[in-house]
Amino acid sequence: MRVPYFPGCTLHSKAKGLDYSTRASLAALGVELTELSHWTCCGTVFPLAQDNYIGMVAAARILANAAKEEGGRLVTVCSFCYNVLKRVNYVIQNNSEARQKLNDYLEENYTGEIQPVHPLEICKEHVGFNVIRNKAARSLKGLKVACYYGCMLVRPAAEMNFDDPENPTIMEGLVTALGAEVVEYPNKITCCGSYQVLHDNALVMQRVEDILNSAITKGAEAIITSCPLCQFNLDWLQEKILQKNAGFRQIPVLYFTQLLGLALELPQESLGLDQHYVDPRPLLVGA
Amino acid sequence: MVDLSGKTRRELVERIKEISGQNPNLCMQCGTCSAGCTGREFMEFLPRQVMRMIQLGNAKALNCKSIWVCSTCLICTARCPRGIDIARLMEALRVINLRQGREVLIAEKIPVELLTQVPQMALTSGFRKLSA
Amino acid sequence: MAEEREMVNIYIMGKHYKVPYGLTIMKAMEYAGYRFIRGCGCRGGFCGACGTVYRKPGDFRLKVGLACQTVVEDGMYLTQIPFYPANKATYNLEELTPTLGTLLRYYPELTRCLGCNQCTRICPQELSVMDYMAAAQRGDIEKVAHMSFDCIMCGLCASRCPAETVQYNVAILARRLYGRHIAPRAQHLAKRVEEVKAGKFDEELDRLMKMDKEELQKLYNARDIEP
Repeated sequence: MRVPYFPGCTLHSKAKGLDYSTRASLAALGVELTELSHWTCCGTVFPLAQDNYIGMVAAARILANAAKEEGGRLVTVCSFCYNVLKRVNYVIQNNSEARQKLNDYLEENYTGEIQPVHPLEICKEHVGFNVIRNKAARSLKGLKVACYYGCMLVRPAAEMNFDDPENPTIMEGLVTALGAEVVEYPNKITCCGSYQVLHDNALVMQRVEDILNSAITKGAEAIITSCPLCQFNLDWLQEKILQKNAGFRQIPVLYFTQLLGLALELPQESLGLDQHYVDPRPLLVGA
Repeated sequence: MVDLSGKTRRELVERIKEISGQNPNLCMQCGTCSAGCTGREFMEFLPRQVMRMIQLGNAKALNCKSIWVCSTCLICTARCPRGIDIARLMEALRVINLRQGREVLIAEKIPVELLTQVPQMALTSGFRKLSA
Repeated sequence: MAEEREMVNIYIMGKHYKVPYGLTIMKAMEYAGYRFIRGCGCRGGFCGACGTVYRKPGDFRLKVGLACQTVVEDGMYLTQIPFYPANKATYNLEELTPTLGTLLRYYPELTRCLGCNQCTRICPQELSVMDYMAAAQRGDIEKVAHMSFDCIMCGLCASRCPAETVQYNVAILARRLYGRHIAPRAQHLAKRVEEVKAGKFDEELDRLMKMDKEELQKLYNARDIEP
């Protein structure tokens, strides 16, 4: 199966490991991602002001371009990209005024026929967790993993239509299929503070500390996510938490696709495990 | 600034309603939004209080820190028992400021350490929500 | 009158002038009495000093051209935008690394790009400005360098940018980073420089220096020319 793929800016630079592990893992599962021939930034955040059409233009153009490819779907893994593409698509499908304005501006005739898809959905619905269980050559048995969804994958529920917005379990399903142990903790859909890292660092520090500690207290050895900004906040700030609190135990934060890639025995050096602040290799290479 | 005439207050409420597409008067002040809010400990007025200020057309809502520490995580929106998209009301308050050039995320003031390390999506989203 | 038909009506900054048909905008402005101190450089379409925005009657869209290259048309409304006071960073190229971080350090506002495409629309060099800005946002410096290679730094892109990004200055930073830190060094050039330094051509140069003009001309005319 070949599906058009929108990597997003961060996956071409800071989160190369997420890009590689997504492509390679899905390829190993029989899904070939073909990158759109040209694309721009999706805009990252959905504009919440009713009269802000310009904030939707970039995502609408990406969707319209994807509609010119075969497949009717567009895969994207970054939670921000997935959120904004899906929400803008929803607007184009359901708001005729916005659809008209965006098409007039872009000189396109796009009506929302593309379905943005997340690799987690591909794993569950198109490949199947059972197939993954059988293909995972390396068992991650004994590894205790906390799944972190954050905000963008699940909210708003009506538009994202992704999983239970208060208690999503799709990532846990994957972790279980890989033989690892799921750690339940209360913070999997709270927000890490997101872009406030640029504006109110103390806020993000406090949120990150709360999320990490709740996962650690429940026994997690690693946290997985699909969002490069969550990954950065949860990972980068640990050094600062440690400076403040010498008793803090660091925990690796990685992408779910990196875990999937390890289980599928993809070349370890390509997974980008060396690109994290808290090195996950001591934990995972022996796991 | 605080002591506004009834007309100005009504105009502010109308403007917020127009930008957000939400009816703030549906709010029954239960405080579910505040309980789940990501930035609650860094706000001088909790989301519930901001909602009340909007209902009353209190222009203080435009100048409070709360609207700028909102990370648009949509927990408030997801959990509001009255179905109000509270995040859109918070955005309306930001947008009224931003359209007048009042911003809080100033590119030149972001430390180089952050600029060179954050994923660029943080800058894009931060600028879109917090810069004019 | 025959002569009258040879004239076209143009509007320079809103003021009406009759100028001879077939002139470039620059010549037409000079015909109308303007004298260029700025906004004019090579007159050959390369330097980018004479960016001009114009509109023709019956069309709401703005068009652009270089004043030295674009021929006036009847009814043209125009103004030059020879300079735009856009953000311009100063840096020491030797100290920089060719990374996304460097682009963001000097031009963080590039991440404000809205994807509106007005820059591509306005570019007189017909570059895909929005697409190279997209590459810049991804940190693909090599792609920015290649895509912006024909940029003449006229600044019209920045003049149209609703996000106040400075496309042409981001692009020249990328080209500089590419040229200094990414593009492979030319081996033959390094070798030749060594040869020059070692004095391999000294004798030949001395011989040339001593020739009179006539001899030099003869030699020049008889030189090998690549087909």
